[in-house]
Amino acid sequence: MSDKNENKGWNPYLAGALTGLLLVFSVWFTGKYVGVSTTFVRSAGYIERVFSAEKVARMEYFKKELPKIDWQFLFVIGIFFGSLIASTTSKSFRLQAVPPMWEGRFGPGRAKRAIAAFAGGAVAMFGARLADG
Amino acid sequence: MGELTYGLVTGIIFGFLLQKGRVIRYDKQIGALRLKDMTIVKFMFTTVLVAMVGVYLLKDLGVIKLSVKSTILGGNIIGGLIFGMGWGVLGYCPGTQLGALGEGRWDAVWGIIGMLVGAGIFAEFYPTLKNTVLTWGDYGKITIPQILGVNHWIVIVVFVVLGILMFRWFEKKGL
Repeated sequence: MSDKNENKGWNPYLAGALTGLLLVFSVWFTGKYVGVSTTFVRSAGYIERVFSAEKVARMEYFKKELPKIDWQFLFVIGIFFGSLIASTTSKSFRLQAVPPMWEGRFGPGRAKRAIAAFAGGAVAMFGARLADG
Repeated sequence: MGELTYGLVTGIIFGFLLQKGRVIRYDKQIGALRLKDMTIVKFMFTTVLVAMVGVYLLKDLGVIKLSVKSTILGGNIIGGLIFGMGWGVLGYCPGTQLGALGEGRWDAVWGIIGMLVGAGIFAEFYPTLKNTVLTWGDYGKITIPQILGVNHWIVIVVFVVLGILMFRWFEKKGL
């Protein structure tokens, strides 16, 4: 039964089309094109500033992308809450440390998954910023 | 409503739809990269098609302005390849991993920390990259209709038709 609930999402075309409309309305009402990765830069700047404010103030990239709380930061936080609401109201919320497909190939070890996810995240964000995505 | 409230509300609806579309999970993301489950491609490409029509419609009506990013082949191609390698290991996108955390898949925490570190590393290397990779093949803010010298609606119709043919093929193959 839990598996059935797990798979009962919306039609991906419908959910995708509604998301498309959301993006259009966002541009219409607020002039904002959605994005996420700049927030990681601003947040990294925020965190680094705690340790070395002078260095962050000197760094060219943080001058370009000022560490601040902006529209996009709240957008990113909103994604978390939106998913939390959708999953807890449809019994598809699961506390899970290792994804099933990962476990099938690499085993249930949490540390292995954590290290790979951390390294993958670092590499992915470096690439995303280089591509300006 | 203030700008920040708009951001939060847009994010909540976005995260809600991502979760409902079942496009957030590791198994779905890696399933797409392994060409076994096209759920996220269906979702993403439908989003792109709808947004493309809507945004150009509003632009033609003079309501909005486009926000075109520069095409820099060096950054786009090398950055894209690096992003893909990281994505394939992590199995979450920058945005979707916040959603993954929202539906309890807390290995996303490691991805989020990794991405903060990756952003910091990029900032360190930015001065060097700016004068090297990010100068290779810099075409500025160009669009496909501009390059082809045709009306943008021709390009939009072609994209929509190709998208629908792709979707029909996915459904026929049961992907």
